[in-house]
Amino acid sequence: MSAYHPDDMTLMNYAAGSLSIPQALAVSMHLCFCHECRDLVKNFNHLGGALLETIKPASTEDEAFDSLMASLEPHDHSDTPKVKVDMGSAEKITQHFNNPLLRYLPTSLADLPWQRQTKEISKFDLTSLLNIKGFQVALQKINAGAKVPTHTHKGFEYTVILSGGFSDELGVYHEGDFIARDTSHKHSPTALQNEDCICLTVLNAPLKFTGWQRIFNPFMAWH
Amino acid sequence: MRHQMTTTKARSMNDSSAANDTPDWGALLARVAEHDDKAAFREIYKHFAPRIKAYAINQGFSQHAEVLVQEVMTSVWRNAGKYSEALASVSTWIFTITRNQRIDMLRKLNRTRAEVVIETEDLWQIPTEDTTICSIQNLSTEKFVKNAIDKLPEEQMIALRKVYYEGKTHEEVAEELKIPLGTVKGRLRLSLQKLRVMFEAKEL
Repeated sequence: MSAYHPDDMTLMNYAAGSLSIPQALAVSMHLCFCHECRDLVKNFNHLGGALLETIKPASTEDEAFDSLMASLEPHDHSDTPKVKVDMGSAEKITQHFNNPLLRYLPTSLADLPWQRQTKEISKFDLTSLLNIKGFQVALQKINAGAKVPTHTHKGFEYTVILSGGFSDELGVYHEGDFIARDTSHKHSPTALQNEDCICLTVLNAPLKFTGWQRIFNPFMAWH
Repeated sequence: MRHQMTTTKARSMNDSSAANDTPDWGALLARVAEHDDKAAFREIYKHFAPRIKAYAINQGFSQHAEVLVQEVMTSVWRNAGKYSEALASVSTWIFTITRNQRIDMLRKLNRTRAEVVIETEDLWQIPTEDTTICSIQNLSTEKFVKNAIDKLPEEQMIALRKVYYEGKTHEEVAEELKIPLGTVKGRLRLSLQKLRVMFEAKEL
C-alpha cells in the first residue's frame, strides 16, 4: 500500500475529468497500486452522478430521439451471460484497475530500450510515443543506490514509482507512491540500495496551452 | 378508520417516494440490453439527455452540446448490457460515460496527427461487470454520498459545483462570485475536508 497520494483536489479533478492527459496518466498509474485512492475516486464519481441528478435540465429537441433511435443497431445477444455478483457478501472486494500504460509499451519494463543519461540513470521517453504536447512524460530508471543530481523544477513534476524506491530530503518513497513537486522544491533523489528504481515522471514544460488551457487550469490553480 | 387510512397512505408515500418517483433505471437498462426495448430507452433518454445537455453547456460545449448528448446516449445503448448495479447507480455510470465522451471529443478536436494516442478509456476506466464490488455496500455508499453533499453549506457546494461540473478555474469562480480567490480556495478545501471526513466515517 502506498503512503504518498495525490491530494483530494487532484483526485476530484481527475473524477471530474478536468486533468490533462499526462496528469491523468500519473493519477491512474497510482490508482493501479492504491485501493484507498480508488475508493476515493469512486466516491467522487458518485458525486458526479449526484450532481447530474440535481442539475437543471436543458431542453432538448424532440426529433433528436427519433433520429438517434434510427441510427442504433440492435444488440448482439450471443454474448456470454453476465458475471454473477455475490449480493449477500458483506466483504468488500476492491476494484480492479488496469495498468493504463501496459498496452502502449513495446516490451515489458525490464526489456525496454532504455536511453542512458548517465552511467546510473536511464530514460525511456513517452512524450512522442503517446503524442503528448506541452508535457514531458518519461519512464526513468535509477540504478540501485544511485543519486540523481540536485535539481529544481520549472512548473511541476509528478512521479509515480513503478518499482523499487527512492529517498530525498522530504521522505522515503516506495512502489506505488505518488509524489508531486513544484518550483519551490529542490531535491536530489537517491534510489534505495536493494533494487533499481523505475518511475513514471510527468513534467509540465511551461509552453503554450492552446485549446487545452481550460483543462489544465483547474489543477494548476490549486497551487 | 378514515384516519388510519390517511396515515397509512401518507406513510407509504413518504417511504416509497424515492422508489416510486424514480424509475428503476437499472431494470430499464436491462430491458434495453436484453430486448432492444425502445420504450425503456426512451424513458432513460427523456430523463438523462436534458441533464447531459446541461452538463455539456456548463462545460462550454455550446454548439456541440447536442452532439455530446447523442454520443453519450449511443454509448449507453451499446453498453447497456455492461451496466451492473453492483458497480454504481445508473446516474453515476452515465456520468462517467459523459465525462469520458466529453474528454474524447475535446481530444479529437485538438488532435493534429493520427498517431498512437493513449485511449481515454485506459486513463478513466469505467468498471465493467468483471470488476466485482459488493452491491449492497456500493449502493448505500452512493446514497451516502448524496446525503453528504446535501450536508455541505451552500456556499461550499456552489464552489464545488462550479469546479467539478462547470470545469471552471478557481480564478473564474472567484470572479463570477465576486469573492477573493483565497475565499474560493478556502471553501473548496473545506468542502473536500468535510467530504473526506464523511467518506471515512462511512468506512468504519
